[in-house]
Amino acid sequence: MPIEVKSLTHVYMPGTPFEAKALNDVSLSIHDGEFIGIIGHTGSGKSTLISHLNGLEHSEPGVVFVNGIDLGEKGSDLIAIRRVVGLVFQYPEYQLFEETVAKDVAFGPNNLGLDAAEIERRVETALKQVGLNPAEVSEKSPFELSGGQKRRVAIAGVLAMQPSTLILDEPAAGLDPAGRREMFDLIRGIHDSGVTVVMVSHSMDDVGRLCDRLFVLNKGEIAYSGTPAEVFLHESKLHAIGLDVPEGAKLARRLRDAGFDMPQDIYRTEDVCAAIIANLRGASDDKC
Amino acid sequence: MLKNITLGQYFPGDSFIHRLDPRTKLLATVALIAIVFVAQGFSGFLLIAAFVIGCAASTGIHLKYLIRGLKPIMFIIIFTFVLNLFFQTEGKELVHIGFIRITDQGLRMASFMAARLILLVVSSQLLTLTTSPIALTDGLEALFRPLEVIHFPAHEIAMMMSIALRFIPTLMDEADKIMKAQKARGANFETGSLIQRAKAMVPLLVPLFVGAFRRAEDLALAMDARCYRGGAGRTRMKQLKFGKNDVIAAVIMALLLAGVIALNRMNVF
Repeated sequence: MPIEVKSLTHVYMPGTPFEAKALNDVSLSIHDGEFIGIIGHTGSGKSTLISHLNGLEHSEPGVVFVNGIDLGEKGSDLIAIRRVVGLVFQYPEYQLFEETVAKDVAFGPNNLGLDAAEIERRVETALKQVGLNPAEVSEKSPFELSGGQKRRVAIAGVLAMQPSTLILDEPAAGLDPAGRREMFDLIRGIHDSGVTVVMVSHSMDDVGRLCDRLFVLNKGEIAYSGTPAEVFLHESKLHAIGLDVPEGAKLARRLRDAGFDMPQDIYRTEDVCAAIIANLRGASDDKC
Repeated sequence: MLKNITLGQYFPGDSFIHRLDPRTKLLATVALIAIVFVAQGFSGFLLIAAFVIGCAASTGIHLKYLIRGLKPIMFIIIFTFVLNLFFQTEGKELVHIGFIRITDQGLRMASFMAARLILLVVSSQLLTLTTSPIALTDGLEALFRPLEVIHFPAHEIAMMMSIALRFIPTLMDEADKIMKAQKARGANFETGSLIQRAKAMVPLLVPLFVGAFRRAEDLALAMDARCYRGGAGRTRMKQLKFGKNDVIAAVIMALLLAGVIALNRMNVF
């Protein structure tokens, strides 16, 4: 489902002393099969933006299009949109409410009005997709599970609707390093299965490693967009808006400043290692 | 749906009313409520309404806010109005259709009740809009302090109130978030029969309660960690002090009361 946003502006509580502009003239497009990263500082409008992408925030007509359908137009079937654009909020484990894990994951499919056999099949698939053993957890109460497991169950609850686009808001927030790695592996797996993924984060390392394309939000506006390599070239400006670049990009830049021959577009630790080795080899070749 | 609740919402400002001692504001509100019941004629209500509107204008809070706060109780106002209108049978008959009899007395009573309710809500709103929740509970605690002689738990009640007020916006936000999350999973809160809609609240209420308990536990721990042990022997950084402004406020309230009583006596209309 291609998503198209044309000049989106969002003001919270307009006409009150609490008026706040969350988004200002944001335009972007997301193509099928992409892995998109949205990065920004706290309060930069990331969460508001993704709420627009499946019609949870009301937009003006002619602004947000999902698969060509205008979400702002009256009479657009938002329920159908939410079925194809799955949204996992930050700390999704706090939304669990059912007596058992299976029932909770089935909440979405149930709302779609599917038959019992299909729902059961989807619950099982979704739980497997997030790396949980259906036989083991299905009948447990979601409140008995560990924090990481709860989050997986919540993600399964969205996956069970079988969306073609999945949006995740800070999926790794509050997880330990091992949990983060597992979470990113899981998301990569979902993307590999053909789902378009949009991931919100404030960690450049994470989005740099996973995403094809990035949008950097600052104070409700898109400051930079492009491939990670393109975005990370703006190191000092990213610093100025409270963001960072991956450690690899920093090291490469410092070596470049020190006069070493480092390519402009590397930021992954592995690539930087390779470039350093190439440099060392080159130096030793000169001696020979 | 959740946005038109102005209860406990504080509008920061620096007006005369904002700067008054919270105790003064509390007592003035109680006095105002009493005065609303003292008024026996339209002239009295008009005077009080003019006073309340004047107060609101002086705080810089848009009148729209006060009116918005009336929305949730509009039903009660209309209900009491209609009830008084139809069931007061004394007085001169104005309209008589079938079993419906409307008398001038009834109309008078009904309008008075509606005016009272509106003035009550607006004036108490003025209190919460101009007083931060913390100042409000400090004021309450100070006012109830004398009752501790008869073992009235003034501090505990004030603490409970400030915690409750503090968490209203937090829980609202949380409810909004959970609602969005469940909507993203295809939940429908807007349409359907009453029973369907009540059922649709379960996915909202369960996580909300779980969250509230979690927060309560965290808060209790945080208070424990800072050695909270109740009100006995507790001192405060900001001592409440009555000032010149508070005297002025007291005089104004006395003048208002005198004015309303005078209007009652004169029996203007």
